[in-house]
Amino acid sequence: MEHAFFDEYSHSDSVIHRLEPRVKILAFLLCILFIAFATGYNLKIFVPYSITVISLILLSKVPVAFIFKRVVSLLPFILMVTIFLPFIQSVEGGEKVSWGALTLPVSYNGIRLFVSVVMKSCLSVMLTTLLMVSTDFASLLKALEKLRVPSLLIMIISFMYRYVFVLEDELMKMRQAKECRSVGGSQWFHLKAQANMLGVLFLRAYERAEKVYLAMCSRGFDGHARSIYDSKIKTRDMLFLVFLAVILTLIKLYG
Amino acid sequence: MAKKVIEIQGLNFYYPDSTHALKNIALDIFEGESVGVIGPNGAGKSTLLLHLNGILRGDNHIKLFDMEISDKALPLIRKKVGVVFQDPNNQLFMPTVFDDVAFGPLSMGLSKDEVNRAVNEALREVDMLDCVNRSSHHLSSGQKKRVSLATVLSMRPDILVLDEPSSDLDPKHRRDLIAILKRLSATKIIATHDLDLVLEVCSRVVLLNAGRVVVTAAAMEVFSNRQLLEENDLGIPIALCKAG
Ligand SMILES: Nc1ncnc2c1ncn2[C@@H]1O[C@H](COP(=O)(O)OP(=O)(O)OP(=O)(O)O)[C@@H](O)[C@H]1O
Ligand SMILES: [Mg+2]
Repeated sequence: MEHAFFDEYSHSDSVIHRLEPRVKILAFLLCILFIAFATGYNLKIFVPYSITVISLILLSKVPVAFIFKRVVSLLPFILMVTIFLPFIQSVEGGEKVSWGALTLPVSYNGIRLFVSVVMKSCLSVMLTTLLMVSTDFASLLKALEKLRVPSLLIMIISFMYRYVFVLEDELMKMRQAKECRSVGGSQWFHLKAQANMLGVLFLRAYERAEKVYLAMCSRGFDGHARSIYDSKIKTRDMLFLVFLAVILTLIKLYG
Repeated sequence: MAKKVIEIQGLNFYYPDSTHALKNIALDIFEGESVGVIGPNGAGKSTLLLHLNGILRGDNHIKLFDMEISDKALPLIRKKVGVVFQDPNNQLFMPTVFDDVAFGPLSMGLSKDEVNRAVNEALREVDMLDCVNRSSHHLSSGQKKRVSLATVLSMRPDILVLDEPSSDLDPKHRRDLIAILKRLSATKIIATHDLDLVLEVCSRVVLLNAGRVVVTAAAMEVFSNRQLLEENDLGIPIALCKAG
C-alpha cells in the first residue's frame, strides 16, 4: 500500500508523541495564538519563537526536513496572500521602485509586516504539521471530540480519513486494470476511458456511502458515533503545558 | 419443534433499476439452526440476507421473532440480528479496529467495561487482538474480513447473518472460522460459495437461482444430488468427492 500520508511518523516515540492528545492540542494552539498575536513590526521577536518551534520539532524526533517540506509546499499560498503587503502601506519612510513607467511606493513598515506575516504563517504551519504527524489521527479526532468540537464535524473528518484511502485504492486499481489492457489506441480513446473512470468512481463513492450508512444502521447507529476515550492527563502533561506557557509569556514580555 | 425466528412468505424485491432480484421467496428459519444459502453468482443471496434485518424491505413479507419489520421494531431487530456484509470496506467504517468493534456494543448502551470486555473477547475469537489499535485501511483483506466478523460477534446477536465469511481467508483462519461458527450457539444464516464450509457448519441448505428458491433441504440431501448441483452451476464439496 502506497498511502503513508501523514501516518508516517505518528507511531514513533518521543516526549512530544507521549503527550496526552488533548494537552498537545491545547499547547500547540497556545503557541500558535502567541505567535499570531505578536506585534507585526517587531521582527526580533521571531527569533525566540522560531527557536521554540524548532526545539519542539527536535524534541519530537520528526525530521526537520520533513516538516520544512510541508511548509515549502504551502509557501506559494502564503506568498500569494502577502505579496502586496509592502506596497499598500506608504505612510512614512518609504521609497519608490520603478520599472520603466511603472512606479510603486514601498514602505519599510510594509516590508516588516510582510516578513512578519510570512514568519507567523510558516511557524503556524510548522506547528500544525508537527501536531498532525506526531499524533495518531484517530486519537487526535477523539481528543478534539473530547474538547467539544461538534461531533458532526468529527464524524465527517473521520469518514474522510477512513475512506480517502479506499477511494484512492479504487482509483489506483481501476487505473492498473486499464493499464493492463491498454495496448495502443488513440489518445482520444484513452482520454474518454479516463473520463468514464471518473464517472464510475463517483458512482462507487455514492453507493459506498449508502452501503456504509446501512452497515452503520445494522449495528444500531442512531445519529451519534460513540467511541471510548480513555487516555488520562498526567502531571507530566500539565508540566509541559505550564512550561510552554511560561516560555511563551517570557518571550512576549521581553522579546 | 424449535421456535420459528424468521418467517418469509412470498417475498419479492426489485432493485431501483428494476432488476427482479428476489422472486416469491418462502423460507422459515428456526431457532438455533444453521442454514447455508448457496447458489451461483447473482442468484440473490446477498439481496436475501439484506432483508433479514430490515436493510432492504422488499414488500414486507418477513416476520422476525413474530414481529413485522417496522421502523419501531428496527432497533430491537438490529440488536438481535447481526449482519456481516460481503465487502469489509463497508463493514469497517471507524478509524481504528477497536472503535469499529466497539461501535455496536456502544450503541447498545453498554458500559465502558462491558464494551472493553466484549471487544477483547470478539477480537480474540477471530485472532485479531494484535491489531486492536491499527487503522482498518492498513489491514489485509483477510484481516479485514476477520475484524468484520468481530464487529458483529461483539454484539452477541441471537441471529448471525454472514455474507461470504470465508472468502479471502487463509486455510488456517478458514478452519478457525469454521470452528468459531460451530461453537457459537446463535442461529446462523450463511451465504457462501464455500460448499465445504456449508457441509461442516450447516444442517440445512437453501439453494437459490435467479432469485428463486430452487430447493430447501437437509445439507446432505442437496450435496448428494449431483444433477441438481450441476444444473445450478455448483460443484460438489471436496470432502464428499473423496468419499464418493
Ligand atoms: N445495487 C444493485 N442495483 C441493481 N441490481 C443489483 C444491485 N445489487 C445486486 N443487483 C442484482 O441483483 C441480483 C442478485 O444479486 P446478489 O448480489 O444478491 O447476488 P449474489 O447471489 O449475492 O451473488 P454473488 O455470489 O456474486 O455474491 C443480480 O442480478 C444483481 O445483478
Ligand atoms: Mg453476494
